[in-house]
Amino acid sequence: MDIIDKKSIMNNNNNNSLTKCLGECEIGDELEVIKVDAGGSATQRLASLGIVPGVKIIKSRSAPFNGPIEIIVKGTKIVLGRGLVSKIIVSCNNSCNL
Amino acid sequence: MIKNFLISEKEFISIMKSCLNKNNKKITTVENRINIALAGNPNVGKSVIFNQLTGLSQTIGNWPGKTVERMEGHLKFLGHYINIVDLPGIYSLSTYSLEEIVSREYIASDELDIIINVVDATNLERNLFLTFQLLELKIPIIIAVNQMDILRKRNKEINFEYFESIFKVPVIPVVAVHGIGVHQLLEEAIELIYQQEFHPHQKEHKLKSRTHHHQSFKMKQVYEQLKSQSSFKKIFNFPDLSSLLSFGKEVEEKIELLTTSLENKTENMVKNQYPSRFLALKIIENDKEIKNLILEEGHYSEIIKISGEYRKELEDYHGEDISTIISSEIYLNINKILDEILIIKSKKDTKKETLTDMFDHITTHSIWGYVILALILIGIYLFTFIIGDFVGGKIDELYVNLSININTDSIIAKILWEGALGGFFSAVGSVLVYVIPFFLMIEILQDSGYLPRAAFLLDKFMHVLGVHGKTIITMILGFGCNVPACAGCRIMETEREKKISVALTSLVPCAATMVVVMGLVGEYLGLGYVGILFIINFLVIILVGRILNKTMPGECTELIMEMHEYRKPNTKVIMKQTWKRSREFILKSLPIIIIIGISLEVMYIFSLLDPVNFILSPITVFCLGLPAVTGVFLIYGILRKELTFALLEVLAISIGVGSVSFLLSPIQMFVFSLVTMLYIPCFTTIIMIAKQTNWKYALQISLLEITIAIIIGTLINWGYVLIISV
Ligand SMILES: Nc1nc2c(ncn2[C@@H]2O[C@H](COP(=O)(O)OP(=O)(O)O)[C@@H](O)[C@H]2O)c(=O)[nH]1
Ligand SMILES: [Mg+2]
Repeated sequence: MDIIDKKSIMNNNNNNSLTKCLGECEIGDELEVIKVDAGGSATQRLASLGIVPGVKIIKSRSAPFNGPIEIIVKGTKIVLGRGLVSKIIVSCNNSCNL
Repeated sequence: MIKNFLISEKEFISIMKSCLNKNNKKITTVENRINIALAGNPNVGKSVIFNQLTGLSQTIGNWPGKTVERMEGHLKFLGHYINIVDLPGIYSLSTYSLEEIVSREYIASDELDIIINVVDATNLERNLFLTFQLLELKIPIIIAVNQMDILRKRNKEINFEYFESIFKVPVIPVVAVHGIGVHQLLEEAIELIYQQEFHPHQKEHKLKSRTHHHQSFKMKQVYEQLKSQSSFKKIFNFPDLSSLLSFGKEVEEKIELLTTSLENKTENMVKNQYPSRFLALKIIENDKEIKNLILEEGHYSEIIKISGEYRKELEDYHGEDISTIISSEIYLNINKILDEILIIKSKKDTKKETLTDMFDHITTHSIWGYVILALILIGIYLFTFIIGDFVGGKIDELYVNLSININTDSIIAKILWEGALGGFFSAVGSVLVYVIPFFLMIEILQDSGYLPRAAFLLDKFMHVLGVHGKTIITMILGFGCNVPACAGCRIMETEREKKISVALTSLVPCAATMVVVMGLVGEYLGLGYVGILFIINFLVIILVGRILNKTMPGECTELIMEMHEYRKPNTKVIMKQTWKRSREFILKSLPIIIIIGISLEVMYIFSLLDPVNFILSPITVFCLGLPAVTGVFLIYGILRKELTFALLEVLAISIGVGSVSFLLSPIQMFVFSLVTMLYIPCFTTIIMIAKQTNWKYALQISLLEITIAIIIGTLINWGYVLIISV
C-alpha cells in the first residue's frame, strides 16, 4: 500500500488548492501535510507525533514577534519553532488567500 | 481465587527449597518478585497510577550513568512482591532523546517481566503509536486505557472486547485519579505470569480452567526459573500479531528479508535481547544505537550494508525520509482499527469553547499573555513575601520573648543559646517561612499545566540566548530551587542547549536567594529596590546567554513541544510535592545552619574569623565596600545561599544589636544581596551542572559568575561612592 498517493496530491494542486509552507497559512486554516523536510532527527520526532504527509492539521495559534506556532494534530496541540514551520509544506483547500 | 492458589504455591516453594538446597534469599527473590514498568506518552497518567499503587514506598534514583530520573516503587500484592518502575514519558522507541534510550534499554533488559502501557483514551491514535512499537518487542504487555472518565464525558466509549481481540493482550479501562482499574492491572499481570499467555474472550471459562492450569504451569515455571535464572518474558508465549503489525508491501518485504538474514546468524547475542524483526526495523530506520550494538558483535557489516540499500530504495520510491515512511505505515495500521475501537455515542459538537480554551486563549495572547506571565511571577513573590513576613514576625517575637528569660553569661550557654538556638530560629523564622509558601506556588504553577504557555510565548526571545523555549520552563522552576531545575535541563535535545540551559537556570534567583533579597533589601529598603535587583539579575542572564551563544559552536535547535491541556491542580498532589521538597530543604538546611551557627559563634568568641576575612577584604571591603565579616559569610553562602543572610542575623543576635540594619548600611545591603544573587551557583547546583555537562564546564560557569558579580558589585559600590562625594 502506498503511503501517500502522489497522484492525488497532484490532483489536489490542480483543484484550486494551494501548496505552501505552514508559516504562510492563516490561523484557523485546515491543512493537509504534503511534505516534512526538517532533517533527520527533527523529522523523526515530528513523525512520531503524527506529523507525516497526508495528515490533516489545523493551524491554531501563532506566538507574537514571529514566534512559534501551534497546530492541532490528531486532537493534540503541538508547538513548533519558527524554523521548523518553513520546512513543513502543506496544502489548504479553502480559506487560503495569498 | 488467586489467594487459594497461593497456599499451594507456598508449599510448593518450600518443597523446592529443600530439593534444590539453595539459600533462602535467592529463592524468594526469584520466586515471586515481579518487575513491572509503566510506559507511555508524557502526561497520560503514569505517575498517578504509580502513586496509587506504590504510595509512600518509592525511591528516586538515576538510571545508571544517565541523568534521567528513575522512579521505583514497591508493593506486596496478592502475596507477590511487585517492583514498579515509572518510566519517563516517551512518544516512540527511537533514540531521539535520552528518555527514549533509557526506556528502550530497560524494557529490553532481563530485569523486566511485564510492561503496563498506559494510553490516554482521549488521544488513542497518537498513544497507540508507541503501543505498536512496544508490541514489536514481544514482551508481556498490558494496555491500560486511562482517563476513561474524560472520554465518557465526551460521549465516547471504547470497545474493549474488540480491542483485546485484535491486540491479543489484556486491555483494561482505568480512571487513575479515582483509582478505578488500577489494581486490576496488577491482577492481570499476575494472571499473565500464571497463564503464560493471554486468552481473550473466555472470561467465564477462563476462571474455571485457570486454577487448574496455574498449578501445573507454576511448578514448571518456578522450577525452570530456578534452573536457568532466565526471566519470565523469555518463556512467555507472545501472541502472533503479524496481521496487526505488518506494513505495506514494499516495506514489509524488505523487513522480512532483513529479519531472515538476522535470524540465520546463529551467534547472535543481541537477538537474545531484541526480537529479530524489531532489530530489522531499527536497522532499516538507521537507528544508531542498534546498529552499534549489532556491529559490536561482528559479522554484521553485510547486513548493515544491505539495509542501507533497502533504505535508499524505499526513500527513493516514496520520496520521503525513512522515519516518515515507517511512521506513516504505523499510523495507517492504527487508523485501520481505530474506527472499530472508538465508539462515538453522540455527535454532539465537542468544539464548543470550554473554560480551559478561553484560559488558553488569554494566556497565549500577544499582549495579555505577557502581562499574565509577569503577574504570575510577581504574584508568586508577593504571596511568598506576605506570608513569610507575617509568620516570620510571629516567630521572631517568640524568640525575643524567650531570650528575656534566659541568662547568657557563661560561654557555653552563649554558644548554645545564640549559636544553636539563634541559628534554629533564623532558619525557621527567616528561611523556612519563605521557602514553604514558595515551593507551594511553584507546584501549583507546574501542576496547572501553565508552563508550556510560557515556553510558547518566550521561544522567540530564548533564541537570542541560544536556546529554545523549553529552557524558560526550567528557569521558572529554578525560582524554586536551582538543583532540580538544572536536572530538568536534560529535556534539552542537544549538548549545546543543555549547556546553555543549565548556565541560565543556575542564574535564576532561587527561593534561598530570595530569602536573602527579601530579608535584607525587601525588609529595609522596600520592594522597589528588589525590583532593581531583579532587573540587574535579568540583564546578567541575557549577558551570559549572549556570551555562551556567541562562543559555543553550533546553533540552536527548534522547539517541538506538546501543549497539554490546562487542568485543575490536584490539591493532594500539590501538598505532597510541596511537603516532599520542604522536607528535603529542612533536612538539608536546618542542621547546616545550626552547626555553622555554632561554629561561627565559637570562631567569633576566639576571634578566628579575622584571618579569613582579612584575606578576602581586598574584594569585600575595597571593591564591594562591605564590612570585612561578610567575607566568611559569602564563603558559607556557597554551601547554601540563605546562609549569607541567616548568619548575618545570627551575628546581629550574638553581638547584641538585634537587627541587621546595625551591621550594614542600605547600599551595603543592596550590594551584598546582589553579590549573593549572582556570585556563584550553590554547591549542590554546581554538582548538578557537572552531572548534566562536565566538571570543567561547571567550574567555568562558576568562575564566569564570580567575575560578573564582582564587576557589577564594584561598579555599583564605587558609582555610589562617587555620586555621594560629588
Ligand atoms: N480526569 C482524569 N485525569 C487524569 C487521569 N489520570 C491522570 N490524570 C491527570 O493527568 C495529569 C498527568 O498525569 P501524570 O500521572 O503526571 O502523567 P505522566 O506524565 O504520564 O506521569 C495529571 O494532572 C492527572 O491528574 C484520569 O484517569 N482522569
Ligand atoms: Mg510522570
